[in-house]
Parts: sequence; C-alpha cells; structure tokens
Amino acid sequence: MSEFHDDYPQYEFMAHHSEEEGKLKRRKLWNVFWIMLGVTIVELIIGFNAKKWGLLHDDRTSSFILKIIFIGLTLLKAFYIVYKFMHLGDERKFMKYSIIGPYTIFIIYLVFIIVVEANYSLIHKDKMDNLIIEQKDRLNKEANEGHHGGEHEGGHEEGEHH
Amino acid sequence: MSSHAIETDSDSAWSGGKSPFGVSYGKIFMWFFLVSDALTFSGLLCAYGFMRHRHPEVWPNPGDVFTHFPGYTGHIPLAYVGLMTLILIMSSVTMVLAVEAGHRNDKKKVIIWMLLTIIGGAMFVGSQAWEWYHFIVGTDHGAIRSVFEDGKWVQKTIYGANMTVNEYGLPVFANFFFFITGFHGFHVFSGVIINLVIFINVIQGTYEKRGHYEMVEKVGLYWHFVDLVWVFVFTFFYLL
Repeated sequence: MSEFHDDYPQYEFMAHHSEEEGKLKRRKLWNVFWIMLGVTIVELIIGFNAKKWGLLHDDRTSSFILKIIFIGLTLLKAFYIVYKFMHLGDERKFMKYSIIGPYTIFIIYLVFIIVVEANYSLIHKDKMDNLIIEQKDRLNKEANEGHHGGEHEGGHEEGEHH
Repeated sequence: MSSHAIETDSDSAWSGGKSPFGVSYGKIFMWFFLVSDALTFSGLLCAYGFMRHRHPEVWPNPGDVFTHFPGYTGHIPLAYVGLMTLILIMSSVTMVLAVEAGHRNDKKKVIIWMLLTIIGGAMFVGSQAWEWYHFIVGTDHGAIRSVFEDGKWVQKTIYGANMTVNEYGLPVFANFFFFITGFHGFHVFSGVIINLVIFINVIQGTYEKRGHYEMVEKVGLYWHFVDLVWVFVFTFFYLL
C-alpha cells in the first residue's frame, strides 16, 4: 500500500480537525452568514427605495453612485463566499493565485472591451437606429411585395385551370 | 489510509513526488472548471449590461416586472427574489456546515446538513419556476406592442413575455432573462442532483470506509459557486 502511494504526488486528503476546533470554525461560519444576510438586507432596502429616493434614471451621477454601491456590496459578498465558504483563503498561495489571477485578468479585459464598445455603440446610436429602421421598412416592403406576388401567381393558376 | 500532511517548499515542490498546490487533483480541477464556468456567466452578464446600456429609455425596470409574492395579490418589488436569495445563502451555509462535519468524520451531522442543503436547492428551483410562470403569463391588462405578423407590423395587446414578444419592454430583456436565469437554474438543478448522489453515498457509508469526506467538499465547491453566481445575477438583474 505504501509503496503504491510513494509513486504519486502526496497531499493531505482532507483537513481533519477536532471537536473544539470545529466549534470555533462553526462560529466563524455563522458570523459570515450574518454578515452576508446583513449585506443582502441593505441591498434590498436600497433597491426597494431607489425609485422613491429618485436614484433611478433621473440623474446620471446618483444612478452611477447607486451602481457602484451595489457592485461593491456584491463583490464583498463574493469575497466572503470564495474565501470563507469555499475555503480558498485557507489554500496555499500557489493555489489561490492560480485561481484568482487568470480570472481577474480575463474579467478586467472583458469589462474593458464591453465599456469601449458600449461607448462606440452609444455615440453612433442615431446612425445605427436609422439602419435598423431602414431594414424594417425594407422587410415590410419585401413582405408586401411577396404577398401581392403570391396573389398574382394564384390568379395565373386559376386562369390555367379554366 | 495515507492522509498525512507533507511539508513542501517551492524549491522541491515542482521536482516531482509532491503536489505543489497541496490539494488533490479532483479539487484542483473542480476549481479550474468553476473558473471556466464563471467566465461563461461573466460573458453573459457583460452582454446583458451592454444591451441594457444600449437601450436605456426602453429597458424595463425590473422593480416593476417582478413584483409578485405567493399568497399576496398586491405588488411588492424585490420581495420574492430577496427570499430566493436568502434560501440560497442559507443552503450555502448548510453545505459548508456539512463540509465542516465531514472534517470531523461526523457522519450523522453530514447527513443532516446535506439534507437541508438539498431541500434548500429544491426550494430555489421551485421558486424560479414560479417566477418564470408569472413572467410568461404577465399582467391582466397587458401592453400594446408592434408585432411582425403575416408579413406586417401590427399593433397588438401582448400579455406576458416569451422569446419574441415582451409585455414589459424590449424582447431582448426577456431573452436575456430566460437565458441567464435558465442557465443558472440548470446549474442549481444539476447541483441538487449531484448533492443527492453524494448524499446517498454518505448514507451508505462510502466515505466513512474511505476515511475522508473529500467528495462532500468537492460538491460543496460547486454548490457555493452556484450561490456565487446567483449573488451576481441578483445584483445585475434585479437591483441595478
């Protein structure tokens, strides 16, 4: 058995711990839960009253601040889930950074591209909307012509029958 | 069972014979899978954000769309999704407690906490089905939208939303809603199934014989990931 295992990379299969350590860990986990519950309730209160407080759509700055608050609170919750619930905080440095590093790089790139493209699309909105309207008109026209053409053909068929 | 910790330093870790990450291959690849899955969801949510900011004036306010609550005929925004979020966070906590009980080889506690996790997951999937139902059926009064019908654009009263028409605003909102929450709901559903399989194994004593409950930890990772995605979907779909 031991010879067999000597040929393989070795690691601790699972972090075992005693009853007393378990008590402390459970208390910490419940604390994380209360934090996450509190953050969610704050989010819901803001979301519930955002319209009443005039934070939606009216003023660009206030809705921008609202977005920053929501995304910040979400990232806080995400940190607690990944570091405490998924125990990434307890893993080795290598492990931690090989998970978080690639993801962060890709996500920064993705958000950057989306923001740039969204800006472009908003600047050229009128041009693009005109294109869509033109396309719609053309579709309409073609559909109407196709409809009439069909009637015409039907007529021919009838004529041939007689 | 060989479950002894081995001290590694970075000089000797990569020369073979030891796992430099200090975790089993199963856990590493569960993490890598979750990273790729997280990128998929990020792509979807970024696309959603793009379309939303492309059409700011015709985009429906989610607070006006998802206002139903079971057993209550009035309209309260966010209440039901808030409850769904609470259920999922709760089931995440019970999962991490099951993992913690597994660290102590406490079979009874693992069974209890995993059972609660499965119940929470099933409740969440049911809630999502309920939400979809109300989104598809729509309101009593409906809304007038132009629809492409028999080769013509016609004004018509629309009730509810599907892939082509949407009572509440742009059809693309409904498309994103169905795709993103559907994709997430499918993750929850498969998570419940995987949890169930592991739950049966725990009851049968498979992991007790093996000497460690690492499988519980692995499915736990997947389950927490589902919760993590929901946290983001909740923010970007319902709050912003």
